[in-house]
Amino acid sequence: MSSVLYTCPFVPAEWILAHGLSPQRFLPSPSRDGDVFAGVGEGICPFARAAVETACTEPGAAALVATTTCDQMRRAAEFAEAYGRLPVFLMHVPSSWESAGAHRYYRGELKRLGRFLEEVGGRVPSSEDLAAAMEDLDAARGALLDARPGMTSSQFAGAVAEFHRGGVLPAGLPAKGNEVGSGVPLALVGSPFFEGHLEVFDLIERLGGRVALDATTSGEGSWPRPFSRRRLREDPFDELADAYFGSIPDAFRRPNSLLYQWLKRELQTRGIRGIIFRRYVWCDTWHAEAQRMKEWCGMPMLILEPEDDARLRARGISRIEAFMEVLR
Amino acid sequence: MKDSPARITLEEWDARYAELRVAGLREPWYGGPLRRHVDEGGDYRLLRLRYDNSAAALRLWNFLLTEEDRLKEARRQGKKLVGAMKDLGTVPVMAYSLANVTAFYPDGAWWIPCVMELSSRDLEIADSLGIDESFCPVRAMLGAFLTEAHFPIPDLLTCNVGATCDDFSAIAQRLNGLGFPILWWETPHRRQPDSAAGEESVPLPGGLIAPREQVDFVRSELERVRGAIEEVAGGRLDDAALRDGIRVANRMRRVLAELRQLAYSAPVCPIPALEMLIAEMLALHFCSDREEAIRVLEELLEEARRRVGEGVGPLRKDAVRVFWVNPVADLRAMNILEDCGGRVCGTEYLFSHALDPIPEDVAPMEALARTALADPMVGPCSDRADRICRDIQLFGAEAVLVSRIPGASHCAVEGAVIHETVRKRLGLPVQEIEVPPLCDAVAPTIRTRIEALIEIVKGRRKP
Repeated sequence: MSSVLYTCPFVPAEWILAHGLSPQRFLPSPSRDGDVFAGVGEGICPFARAAVETACTEPGAAALVATTTCDQMRRAAEFAEAYGRLPVFLMHVPSSWESAGAHRYYRGELKRLGRFLEEVGGRVPSSEDLAAAMEDLDAARGALLDARPGMTSSQFAGAVAEFHRGGVLPAGLPAKGNEVGSGVPLALVGSPFFEGHLEVFDLIERLGGRVALDATTSGEGSWPRPFSRRRLREDPFDELADAYFGSIPDAFRRPNSLLYQWLKRELQTRGIRGIIFRRYVWCDTWHAEAQRMKEWCGMPMLILEPEDDARLRARGISRIEAFMEVLR
Repeated sequence: MKDSPARITLEEWDARYAELRVAGLREPWYGGPLRRHVDEGGDYRLLRLRYDNSAAALRLWNFLLTEEDRLKEARRQGKKLVGAMKDLGTVPVMAYSLANVTAFYPDGAWWIPCVMELSSRDLEIADSLGIDESFCPVRAMLGAFLTEAHFPIPDLLTCNVGATCDDFSAIAQRLNGLGFPILWWETPHRRQPDSAAGEESVPLPGGLIAPREQVDFVRSELERVRGAIEEVAGGRLDDAALRDGIRVANRMRRVLAELRQLAYSAPVCPIPALEMLIAEMLALHFCSDREEAIRVLEELLEEARRRVGEGVGPLRKDAVRVFWVNPVADLRAMNILEDCGGRVCGTEYLFSHALDPIPEDVAPMEALARTALADPMVGPCSDRADRICRDIQLFGAEAVLVSRIPGASHCAVEGAVIHETVRKRLGLPVQEIEVPPLCDAVAPTIRTRIEALIEIVKGRRKP
């Protein structure tokens, strides 16, 4: 099956799967050196740059789907289209969500994405194909959440990344109900991760903490709500669109009150005691939330600005160590 | 009295003003010597600028620098104020269609740190809110809202989001998080119609096209804005009123079009770059008085016509013809170009859609939706580069200056696309500069880069 690459949580894997293609929500590799952005000076977000470079050098990919949830990615996609080798689809995900028109527009964009997927080798999906894909992935997400207590936060993050990348559950998930997590429960909030991101989770565990909530754009917070079985049978496409556009909290949404409502609930439910907030240089969307979240959350919060390749450097490690010392 | 066109300092304006008064200058209520804006308003940047010496330019500056007074007066008269954020020329056209509504452009606060030479503390307030210098200078708007020192808090605050810049969207969200209610309205990323899928293609101002679906969507978004304006105004904003509003806006755009044509293509530049920048900005929101804004521009146009007719202007005839891309946060940058021997011959300040006529042959909401979708920021960079190339040829520019906006999310990629397109298609030299709100510290660097551009062009000219 040809793979369709994307990084944005608002691209439904189920829709790609229903077209007979393999959805690959990838984390960009920091080490790829492409030439797509040759001639572009400073100012481009490292994630957007790496995502496009990675996609353009990925062997066997059929297409890249980018979205407008961030201006940097929107413009990086234009570069990928002009200078890369992959067909690129730029999907407009409305920032505003309070009007019926915005929901309709998102549905329209999914249909347009469907036409693109057919052009790059996908089939015309039936309602049954879509419903089956939705049931499968919904069940997989549920199984991952069920298995979470039995995994360290690093294992869980790895399993989520593997699921996003391959669209299937990783082998050997622990049974529901086993509790292995210990340490100070923390939330990770902010920009999405690069490939090789597990070192942050490992470090936090070594220092006596655990990531009880991955609320970054690449974490579990980027999942749609569970599908309604009834609506899935009656009109799977509508249910898909509603679950994705209607429920995923993200900083780019206007207003972004859904993000704060969701966080409030999850921070409380999971007994979170501190937040590590990550944002890349030039990521205005998350950057602007940092101070607000600090004032809002009522708990210690550490703001990290990873280097361009997103690796933890000595300064970042020291800051996490100091933060954990305060919390322990 | 010496009446030949010249660029003069504020000190020279003191004497010039006295001369004009003696000669019988008649001014509107907001008139007066420019110096009072420094002495009473703290607009210290005026001390560092060079201005056109005409009475028309004096009126333009006085009009610009008294907007706050007009807004306060509008409120005192019981008019409703609409703050139209990240909207360059659509919502204000709607708002001004009702007699009891005045619209303004809170984003205009991005010039406050420059004009007041950082004495207003707006950037410090933004810093304290976590919106630091890695954001575009429009972050000054946060300080302006919190201090209420530069404009009254509007009765309705709208913000265009979607395919706009992240800086502004994030800053507006921060404002919203501080308790300022905002009506968000969406413009999608403009794309080509898919003819294979049977999508209807709709012509937009500026020679662009968009699929019918996108135009309909923006129209429905603007309908929400119309509803909100009606609610705040307590009256109907019907199509007839909107048609009148569009007609008046187009009248202003026509005046501006002729002014731009003269200023950017006449053999001797009749109006300097700084005054032309201000003139173009008036098109966005009428500087809080639509009728007076037109009169101000008409007087400037008259002056330009006179000077072109006489073949005179404030700059040398051999000034290098430069096309300017992006607005500057520091007004002084426009002076620097002319100090280096250049002149502006064409601009693309990210609001070409606010200069193009709004269609009058379709229903008004449809026309406004088409205008909003023609915003250069909502489309691909390549569309913007195409427009720039067309306008370069129209005005006969010899070089391009891309002025990067510090921290702006779109500049890195856009600048590269424009650079590449102009060089490949037209073979013109392109130079990039970055202009912070106060450019004094980097002025030598800016000057060096501009001088290099000017020298290259002069070297290419045929003897």
